[in-house]
Amino acid sequence: MNGICKNIPRAANQGLAGCHVCEKVSLISAVNCPRCGTHLHFRKPDSINRTIALMIAAAIMYIPANILPIMSIRELGVTTESTIVTGLIQFWEARSYPIAIVIFSASILIPLLKIFALIWLCAAAKGIVPHSAKILGKVYWITELLGRWSMVDIFVVAILVTMVQLGNYMVVTPGPGALAFAGVVILTMFAAMSFDPKLLWDQLEREAAEAESEKNTERE
Amino acid sequence: MWYRRFGAVDTTSRSNEITRKKLRTRLSILSWPKPKGGPHHAVCHFCDTLHVAEPIPEGSRVDCICCGATLFQNRSASLVRVTAFSVTALFLMLVVHSAPFISMDAGGMRTVLTLPGAAKALIDDGSLIVGCGVALFTIVTPLILSGGLVYVCGPLLFGKSAPGAKMVTRWMSRTEPWNMIEVFLLGVLVSLLKLGHLAELHFGVGFWAFAALMFCMAAAVAAIDKRELWDRLEVAGAP
Repeated sequence: MNGICKNIPRAANQGLAGCHVCEKVSLISAVNCPRCGTHLHFRKPDSINRTIALMIAAAIMYIPANILPIMSIRELGVTTESTIVTGLIQFWEARSYPIAIVIFSASILIPLLKIFALIWLCAAAKGIVPHSAKILGKVYWITELLGRWSMVDIFVVAILVTMVQLGNYMVVTPGPGALAFAGVVILTMFAAMSFDPKLLWDQLEREAAEAESEKNTERE
Repeated sequence: MWYRRFGAVDTTSRSNEITRKKLRTRLSILSWPKPKGGPHHAVCHFCDTLHVAEPIPEGSRVDCICCGATLFQNRSASLVRVTAFSVTALFLMLVVHSAPFISMDAGGMRTVLTLPGAAKALIDDGSLIVGCGVALFTIVTPLILSGGLVYVCGPLLFGKSAPGAKMVTRWMSRTEPWNMIEVFLLGVLVSLLKLGHLAELHFGVGFWAFAALMFCMAAAVAAIDKRELWDRLEVAGAP
């Protein structure tokens, strides 16, 4: 199979598990880690099911997050509601391209890419699509690393709500979209945390074993 | 044997070798100790490959032989650095919360931004959950992280473990992904650009303290390998 490391021992095959918290390697029969007391398991429990469930929730939340206003601005008695996309267009029209790109990647691109990347990872771990575990491992690592940066939009709302309190002149209040968007970010972060990249290698191992047995039966 | 050995990647430069050696002998108690027993193993987080984790020189790193992800690294002067940076971070947090962050003059009025103020404004305007989230990600988690690092690593400098150190360390590894100081700083920059044409903005001491806090937190967290911290706790005899 592509990219599988041959003749290298994997911890689970030896009955050993690395603790998720303190990284001590101990026999799975110990049940709890002898060093830090965390429950030991070979793979994150129910990894793919949990990831998919959290991701579906995130995908559903993504719709109100983009439709509902994340904040409303009342300027001289006139109220305008601003969604993520309109905020982005404002920056683009004001010719602040770098900041528009930052906002675009943090609040639209990263959540979408994250959802797609996790679907891809789950499909690969289930063996639905062929994959190279090395590359997908990197994809997972990046997904986990970038997730937090989507929160920037929520912080911008928080800062504007605090600072733009100018009585009759201009007032900013948070909108329901902010809650939905924060939900998307938190759910995708939990989804990424519950995925176990070791499953990608398990799938490759399974495929290699199947190919081996097929070869044997052909020979017979 | 069913495991394979591998070489460590040495990243130290030769010119630093002598000063490093001097430092190491002086701080001999401070280099990464290994708990009794062995051989010690390390499992790759990504591909589950089993390795034998042998002691490596300070400043070097070990990568997984199968997938190439970093297994662990032996940071030089790790404990001293963690303690120094996290103590600094705690002091900076005091400054961030007490000194003015950014103030804005517009239409004869002045508004001031503070971290708790941002969370409070959201809660007052009816976004209770988002407000609590902002408070959690920018105030509570950095406090748990840096306070926890001081509490755990300070006594470890003298080879002792503080009561409940293991519980605190567990909590730190749980809260680490939710520390969003650097994201908040990006948010500040974006909103400054949004407000820049609208009003006159003044950067307070709090803002610069916040930027420094971001660096200190990042340096403190990166200064020690998780595995080293737990090994040290085990050697110090934490219950």
